[in-house]
Amino acid sequence: MRGDDRSLMLDTFREVHTPEGVALRLPAAGPVPRALAWLIDLGIRIGVLSVSAALIGVLGRAGVGLYFVMAFLLLWGYPVVFEAMYDGQTPGKRAMELRVVSADGAPVGWLASIVRNLLRTVDALPVGYGFGLVASLSDPYGRRLGDMVAGTLVVHAPRLHAPPPPPVAGVHAPVQPLRPEEQVAVIAFAERAAQLTPERQEELADIAEPATGARGGIGVARLLGISNWLLGRR
Amino acid sequence: MRQAHFVARHEREWMEFERWLDARAGSPRAARAARGWQGLRDEDMPARYRRLCQQLALARRRSYSPVVTARLQDLMQRGHNALYRPAPPRWRRALEFLLADFPRLVRAQRGCLWASAALFVVSTVAMYLAVRWRPELVHSLFDTRQLAQFESMYDPAAAHSRLGRDSGSDLAMFGYYIANNIGIGFRTFAGGLLAGVGSLLVLVFNGVVFGTIAAHLQGIGHGGPFWRFVVGHAAPELSAIVVAGTAGLRLGLGLVAPGRRSRIDALVEGGRIGGKLCIGVFAMLLFAAFVEAFWSSIGSIPGPVKFAVGGVLWALVLGWLGFAGRGRTVRGAPP
Repeated sequence: MRGDDRSLMLDTFREVHTPEGVALRLPAAGPVPRALAWLIDLGIRIGVLSVSAALIGVLGRAGVGLYFVMAFLLLWGYPVVFEAMYDGQTPGKRAMELRVVSADGAPVGWLASIVRNLLRTVDALPVGYGFGLVASLSDPYGRRLGDMVAGTLVVHAPRLHAPPPPPVAGVHAPVQPLRPEEQVAVIAFAERAAQLTPERQEELADIAEPATGARGGIGVARLLGISNWLLGRR
Repeated sequence: MRQAHFVARHEREWMEFERWLDARAGSPRAARAARGWQGLRDEDMPARYRRLCQQLALARRRSYSPVVTARLQDLMQRGHNALYRPAPPRWRRALEFLLADFPRLVRAQRGCLWASAALFVVSTVAMYLAVRWRPELVHSLFDTRQLAQFESMYDPAAAHSRLGRDSGSDLAMFGYYIANNIGIGFRTFAGGLLAGVGSLLVLVFNGVVFGTIAAHLQGIGHGGPFWRFVVGHAAPELSAIVVAGTAGLRLGLGLVAPGRRSRIDALVEGGRIGGKLCIGVFAMLLFAAFVEAFWSSIGSIPGPVKFAVGGVLWALVLGWLGFAGRGRTVRGAPP
């Protein structure tokens, strides 16, 4: 199932082939962002429970029942309802840009969400999500036990940022022919250049001196030009 | 083809597709309600999606930069989600599930069901007989303070008219029973993942506690109020715990004896069945909590009425689990 693309070999992508024959690349999330998302959710739940406890307190003794129902809903219902109704994202997962999906990349359904959240009880054993941590560290896709049984996966779901404006430098043909992976590296440099300091740009462009035939600022400009040439902006 | 040409040629198509996703993919109901949509037509969307998949495959094959492939993958994933999302649940379907599919599913797990029932009943009866025979055994399970609490809850001579509790209004106890009992039901299922041992322990533990308390209260002459309290909600509550145990044992079986499937496939199947059973267990325990809070606790109702109602509830629950959904063809229900 893994692609032949060598850059994927060290990453936790799960490749799922859709009926259309295209590989969907699901970047599986590890335990740390998931634990942070869980902490955020915990904070929200405790907050909601204590605010509602203050409001319910007005009702007197009958309010105690309402408080228990509230606690039950927050403990068992909160993750299921959010995951099933809001695209596999609880507020904590949304904040950490995570999403629960089915193992085949489709949105998670009610039943799968119920199963993975009921089995949280086992993942939380013996203390502090110990079983879940061991499971997610030994699984190639970072799934805890509940995810395995429910057939789900937690993936990174970063909001796509708008593509950066194309660099304005001119077009420049490379001094010598570039191999395909070198072409990819040059284009990646051009697309990320705006996020780098000028010094770092020069440092990186110096590595490509054989292709540009120049160093320093001129090298950077030429490398951007080569990128434009490769992309077909002529 | 160079990347820039490729983007220029298909940019408009992608924008249209994205606008469709933004406007109409979220909720089919909202999309149906919104008349006058001018963009990509709904019926053209699948074809567009397939084209996009092809373009993504091309872009990857030609090693176009992440700016293009990531954007196409994002569009494709959103299209995939819109096309392959599970159907939204319907209320009618929920009723069908409770009246037919759930009892049928329980009966389909016959082996685990009998095993679960046997574990619970045998441990209850054994403990009951043991404590009746040697009353001092009760002290090995409960300390004096706990026993005093049980005894005061079911004291026939007590001043309070509420059975089965020290204090708390009906509504408060209703909430408490929901949180406590349904949580226990859910954990009984989840414990099954530990090769069934968790479910087994919960079943035996509940049986032991129930049998012991019953024998002790009977022995000291508090049996009347105790049985009058218990008999009402026993039917839905005890059978729900047995069903939750069934779900847990079924899940554990996938780990211990997966048969001809791989363990993970057997577990996934067990999880699917267990998840559905837990929805039913939730409904049963909700009903049990209602009965326990608002009916069982009324101390003034005479014993015969309580026992008659308890008998009717037992007949209803067992009849429902044993016969509901028989003989009807399943319409459109997943196997």
